[in-house]
Amino acid sequence: MKNNIAALSLLLLSTATVAVAQEKASPLEISGSVDTYYKYDFNKSGNIKTYFANDQNSVSLGMIDLALKKTTGKASFVGELSFGPRGQFQSIPDAAGGYDPVSNGFNIQNLYVNYAFSDKFTMTAGYMGTFIGYEVISPAANFNYSTSYLFGSGPFQNAGIKGTYSFSDKVSLMVGLFNEWNQYSAIRGVSSLGGQLMVSPVEGWTAYINGLHGLDGYGNYSTIVDLTTAYQITEKVKIGLNAADLSAGDDQFGYSGVALYPQYAFTPSVALGLRAEYFNYKGISGGPSASVTSFTLSGNIKSGGLTFIPEVRFDNDKDFTQGFLKSNLTTLNKSAAQFSLAAVYSF
Amino acid sequence: MKNLLFLFTLICLTQFSYAQEVTLLPKDETGKFTYYEVVESTVKGDSLQARLSNFLTRNKKEIKLKSTDAGKLTIASGKIVIQKSITIISHPSGEIIYQFNFEIGEGKYRFWLTDFQFIPYQKDRYGNFVPSTTIGVPLEKEPKKSNAQQWEDYRLQAAKYAADFAKRLKDHLVNKTISPLPLPEKKVISKTW
Repeated sequence: MKNNIAALSLLLLSTATVAVAQEKASPLEISGSVDTYYKYDFNKSGNIKTYFANDQNSVSLGMIDLALKKTTGKASFVGELSFGPRGQFQSIPDAAGGYDPVSNGFNIQNLYVNYAFSDKFTMTAGYMGTFIGYEVISPAANFNYSTSYLFGSGPFQNAGIKGTYSFSDKVSLMVGLFNEWNQYSAIRGVSSLGGQLMVSPVEGWTAYINGLHGLDGYGNYSTIVDLTTAYQITEKVKIGLNAADLSAGDDQFGYSGVALYPQYAFTPSVALGLRAEYFNYKGISGGPSASVTSFTLSGNIKSGGLTFIPEVRFDNDKDFTQGFLKSNLTTLNKSAAQFSLAAVYSF
Repeated sequence: MKNLLFLFTLICLTQFSYAQEVTLLPKDETGKFTYYEVVESTVKGDSLQARLSNFLTRNKKEIKLKSTDAGKLTIASGKIVIQKSITIISHPSGEIIYQFNFEIGEGKYRFWLTDFQFIPYQKDRYGNFVPSTTIGVPLEKEPKKSNAQQWEDYRLQAAKYAADFAKRLKDHLVNKTISPLPLPEKKVISKTW
């Protein structure tokens, strides 16, 4: 008993010491999220297959996401691990670079070190969430729970080394050398060159112009150009935009798309947001292209660390590229609609 | 058992003494939480202004100069990063931004911190916590019941910060001679004739 008390006292003492020391050194940050969802497709099929929220009529898992961060002086690291379908075989490659649900075992979303040479210039090396696109893997950082076609088609992570220079609070430039998309280790060497120009023309408006050239996740040398921007117009109104174009080598593959994200916050805890997306698959070698339109209406209802995301989504696939089925589960259908309810807890 | 009681009492006393130390900031005539102080000073106006500039430069991660009016009224914007803590685990959960005003008068100066607004953080794609919006919620706004305790804590943290900031500022303006910012360390050259 005495030992327990002594241990508890020591813990309290160390806590107090950490609290005092916080003024000069950053403590170890531990954060993360947990998410789960239910989805019902009105044609009783898992029709809409964009990343995450795929299971039909099932209470299913997203992931548990755990992140560690520590800063000591000018140096810092981030290590982020994910467990569960969303955070493993749906978004993280296995050791062999595949997405096999059986063999998947790395669980790493982010693993990098960062060094701030000055207030303006930092360098980062490791395996990082991609700088391309509007939506991200963590459900805690997205407004909608299901994801866009643009998100599913672009890179998830980029391993490499990058330098970022801030000219001012309004302009910064990142340039980096990367492996192929979504690879822990390079197969064909450090083959990609990427960059990001950030501009913030007015208070509340930030735009990222991104470019990446190299070996993509489809095995082609390709170039992707991406614009991601968001403007907090008033306390209640926010609007976001994502537009991207990917052209593969010899133009044999590619896509382009645009998604608009208007959002309205009724209170700090209740908000409603729409995602309207147009996505076009470029025709291979000059062949016919195919397009999809998608409308997703999501609510965000927050209570403490918990966010409920009720969502309805309507997709139109006029060229039958998505394999949507009617309720008889055999006849192809041009459209699909679904309802989902997700719960995301962040800590 | 005695030890447990002693430990429990110690924890209660610590919490009680913390609660006793911090009170909410008073509100100004427009209803905004404000820390306001007038300080008698024998330091000349020019020196005060130079020392203030030095203070702002040294604390540039915390407060940034917005404007200065011919050395009389200086306005800066600052932020207080709020840490979400559970025993030894902690990460930033938001920031409170504020406006700092500083004015020099005859034989005295005054300063006030006001326009306190809370901005929640969210995690970005790289695992870092960043502001989720650029427009803050004024601390004067009455919260919902479910958020009342947390909001009260933000108000107390703002009050505690303002008192600490005021002490640091006054100490700097009174005690500090204007020392230049540290120069790069000179290399020691040895064994030279």
